[in-house]
Amino acid sequence: MKISLTWLKRYVPIEEDAATLARDLTMFGVNVEGIESLAPPFTGVVLGRVLEVKKHPGADRLSLCTVDAGGARPLGIVCGAPNVAAGMRVAVAVEGAVLAGGLRIKKSKIRGVVSEGMICSESELGLSENHSGIMSLDFDGKPGVSLEGKLGQSEYVFDLEVTPNRPDLLCHFGIAREIAALYRRKLVLPDRFELGAGGDFNLRIESGADCPRYTAAFVDDVIVAPSPAWMQNLLKSVGLGAINNIVDATNFVLMELGQPLHAFDRDTLAKDTIVVRRAKKGEKIVTLDGVERELDPGMLVIADDARPIAVAGVMGGRDTEVKAETKRLVIESAMFDPRLVRDARQRLKLETEASYRFEREADSGIMMDAAARACRLIQEMGAGTPSPACAESIHDPRSLERRTVSLRVSHANRVMGTELAGDDIAALLDRLELPSRSYGETVHVSIPTFRRDILEEIDLVEEAARVYGYENIGRDESARCSIFSEVPAEDLRKSSLVDFLVSRGFAEVVTSSFMDPADAGRMGWDGRDERAGPLRVANPLTEAQSALRTSLIPGLLGVVRRNTRAEQEEIRIFELGKVFLPGPERAGLPREELHIGALFARHATPLEWMAPRRQSDFFDMKGELEALLDRLGLLEEVKMMKPHDGKGQIFQWLLGGAVLAEGGLIAKGVSEGFDVDSPIFYFDLRLDELPPAGGGWPRFEAMSQYPAVKRDLCIVVADRVRYAEVRNIIMQQAQYLDSIRVFDYYRGGHLGEGKRSYTFRLSFRSSENTLDSIAVDREVHRIVGALQRELGAALRTE
Amino acid sequence: MSERPDRFGVDEIAERAEKAFAEAADLEVLEEARVRFIGRKGEITTLLRSIGSLPDEERPAFGDLVNDLRERILGLYERRKGALSDGAAEEDYFSGDPTLPGRRALSGGRHVLHQVLRDIKRIFFGMGYSLAEGPDVELDYYNFEALNFPADHPSRDTQDTFYINRDILLRTQTSPVQVRYMEKHKPPLRIIVPGRVYRNEAPDPSHASEFLQMEGLYVDRNVSLADLRNDVTYFVRAFFGSDAKVRFRPHFFPFTEPSAEADMSCFACRGSGCPICGKTGWIEIMGAGMVHPHVFRNAGYDPDAYTGFAFGLGLDRIAMLKYGIDDIRRLLSNDLRFLRQFWAETAGEVFE
Ligand SMILES: [Zn+2]
Repeated sequence: MKISLTWLKRYVPIEEDAATLARDLTMFGVNVEGIESLAPPFTGVVLGRVLEVKKHPGADRLSLCTVDAGGARPLGIVCGAPNVAAGMRVAVAVEGAVLAGGLRIKKSKIRGVVSEGMICSESELGLSENHSGIMSLDFDGKPGVSLEGKLGQSEYVFDLEVTPNRPDLLCHFGIAREIAALYRRKLVLPDRFELGAGGDFNLRIESGADCPRYTAAFVDDVIVAPSPAWMQNLLKSVGLGAINNIVDATNFVLMELGQPLHAFDRDTLAKDTIVVRRAKKGEKIVTLDGVERELDPGMLVIADDARPIAVAGVMGGRDTEVKAETKRLVIESAMFDPRLVRDARQRLKLETEASYRFEREADSGIMMDAAARACRLIQEMGAGTPSPACAESIHDPRSLERRTVSLRVSHANRVMGTELAGDDIAALLDRLELPSRSYGETVHVSIPTFRRDILEEIDLVEEAARVYGYENIGRDESARCSIFSEVPAEDLRKSSLVDFLVSRGFAEVVTSSFMDPADAGRMGWDGRDERAGPLRVANPLTEAQSALRTSLIPGLLGVVRRNTRAEQEEIRIFELGKVFLPGPERAGLPREELHIGALFARHATPLEWMAPRRQSDFFDMKGELEALLDRLGLLEEVKMMKPHDGKGQIFQWLLGGAVLAEGGLIAKGVSEGFDVDSPIFYFDLRLDELPPAGGGWPRFEAMSQYPAVKRDLCIVVADRVRYAEVRNIIMQQAQYLDSIRVFDYYRGGHLGEGKRSYTFRLSFRSSENTLDSIAVDREVHRIVGALQRELGAALRTE
Repeated sequence: MSERPDRFGVDEIAERAEKAFAEAADLEVLEEARVRFIGRKGEITTLLRSIGSLPDEERPAFGDLVNDLRERILGLYERRKGALSDGAAEEDYFSGDPTLPGRRALSGGRHVLHQVLRDIKRIFFGMGYSLAEGPDVELDYYNFEALNFPADHPSRDTQDTFYINRDILLRTQTSPVQVRYMEKHKPPLRIIVPGRVYRNEAPDPSHASEFLQMEGLYVDRNVSLADLRNDVTYFVRAFFGSDAKVRFRPHFFPFTEPSAEADMSCFACRGSGCPICGKTGWIEIMGAGMVHPHVFRNAGYDPDAYTGFAFGLGLDRIAMLKYGIDDIRRLLSNDLRFLRQFWAETAGEVFE
């Protein structure tokens, strides 16, 4: 919200410069987000010296002045000010100058005499409201020097962040109140017209709950004209345009006291009546912005006897607005149910300064004062004659009373970490116009209507802490540490898996939780796959972000696409993150599963001189998944299988009965759908299927101190036999097997059709003694025998 | 030893030989030097030939002197030869060109956001905080109502929300875990809660629709605003450097009271004002405050028995500040050229 420094000074003395004030307010809880400096609002005004003053031949009260304004010859200017005198230094608006309020200076005849400019008063320059005479400048310099930026104080406008709990700060007077508390200065109330209740008018409120308070003030003999320059300038400085003296006066009060007002042209009201009621179905109104809007019974309207004339708290209607010919006014100052205003604003998509404040519950005690203030301004401007009696409806008079809220001194100190006495706390609160009295352990505070946010003890503690100064609290550096950190074992395991993957050359990525629903189709998930039915967001930003991801893979494919375009040649990435599966969970929330998704794309190795470069392949993927499983101590426990309904080259790794991981080749069609080059390999590990973490620290086991004996074994089997079967038999038969590696694999060729061979390096070792070759031979013999028997294998010798 | 001066210049020859051997970078050069000094036509031979010009009685002593010199130089030569032979490979281990690049496996690294999270977690674990987590898809109740955001209240407008339906939404903050955790645990408790949060805002360089946040919560019998300031100050100094200053400004959050925003002194200009801190010398880093009694009540705690504080910080923002990243959207862009920039081993280093 914009707040003008000049405007603030109407209610509280401020000596501080703008930057100091901004900093102090910020530390006081009124966050100043920016300061804008505005130059005084005139151009083309120069320094002049009055050379001679003569009487105007045609008018007693006018003078004819000769003024040196720096030009080749002096100017002749007609001036009406009583204080003009020869020798005076003055501000001269020369031809082409634009003054505050937009007045453009032209050469013109005044009562028959040509005037070549204008000698200005402070008011005409927008520097003050003083228009009693021209300005006498004690300003050195040559006549003709521009006065732009040299007269008066520049205006500063603060951009304030006002939090939703403090609607009282949405106006200049509210900010001035904070400044008065901050600097312990006296607050000056703006003048008001003496307004009382008892006016005779046909005012009807259908529901006091919808409209707890309504005040209608009346003004006659209205003369609609532009408002004075000072008012226009202040309104402009906070971003409001000048319209006419009546509307500007209501806007001025809005920005001054925070209470939205609306002026109706009384002569346009059917049967001189105002009704506050719900809109009827199908009823329409053309609002001030010229838009026809359809209303419904969910909306509150102000109506006359025939039709709606305003959407309550949001915007007035065009038919009843103040126009040039308006003669009589009804000024509305009311309070509406904030939920109704909010609802109407949302449904009409019409946010106004008024709706913003009504939604935040303005001060319930200010209606009459705000109307009285507007009447006073109208009267001062000579824009009309206010009536001393207004019409008023108050639904619940108790809502206007002050509440009392109490605070326990010991509790306040406990929360703040201070040792303040009750009187100290009362004095702090008093500064905020929260009258407080301390009775030993308790402080009683009488809460004014403008602080609707203070409802209970803790609210007072905050106010006290704020005035006391957060910077004065808590300088003790010794943090207590009586509670020890307990990090869940799952989290530790998670970070160690991530570290492991990083050490294996993976780049960790973080992708969006959102998914394009069309990705389910691109991935080829069919209807039975729960990943195909992602949870939808009701109000998404875009269609591509309208569902929650059911898998990490689509996002990772997007990362491959991006990096392929960035010409990254080796892509080995993973993400550890949540996926959201619509599933039965308590209270309708989805199942959130933690997965590790990894992709292997493009090259598996860098381009190097010593070996040919390799594309990422299936065994890169499988090797990394196995390394991960080994790290988890699960490598020997999981079973790899091809799913029964599995399409393409996808495998699953089962632990117990559950699928722990899946992985394989991203089908070519899928890659094409995501606009990435095939082949890409992936695995997707479900962390939630892992056994509980935290099985304790590893226990040391003594290593064998005896040497190992190595034997290489080349086994030829039929083509249908798989490595895993061969390995299983070796593992079952061996007694002293220490390690087993397959280091050669061959199909067909010189073996003949339908054959394949595996060459193993077996290492045998005993923990009890040195194995002799007889024992090892016996072991190998047993293994080979079993392979021949069970797989029809042959031993091949080189 | 003789006290006479180096009459025949033998010491001088030995010194020159030692120098020549030492300068020989390989065996070939060393061999040349050997020949020059002790070869058949070397300096020693020449020196020995000068014996003819000596009186007879001096000849035997001169002969011994020259032989000693030869032995000395031979010794120096053997030592140098040994040293050179050790280094020189019998085999060619470097394919004839040791300047070729070495074999490099792919190297990986953590995402910058998760590095920041890891570093921050370490600090808070050290301070006695434990870890808690909660769902991303959350009930309106935990995200708003239990945190003292009334339905249809403007305070909700400060957080544009993605809804799944009327009651279920994507959490806009990690704070819902406060109530979830307190419902299941008795005080004292001291937790941090990292997690992804969502805001229905059109993305721009400083706003993302999803980002990483971390909540802190400490509840005990006598936790005060002073404790909050101490913990926040400790964290900021541990993370940004021990000369960082922290200030608290009053603010408003529905679920804490008193509430504050914490600023730290600008690390770039050290408080004098620069573009990074918007010329204020201060950078906003977190929101914080004392847990509101309503939140305690909603969690089933007695607000008269317990007090507590909570704070929340945006990790994307912290990462952007720390590493000078210009646009929050880069963090989810996953361009490897971007990610690699933060893999350098600078953990624990306080940046300038
Ligand atoms: Zn700075």
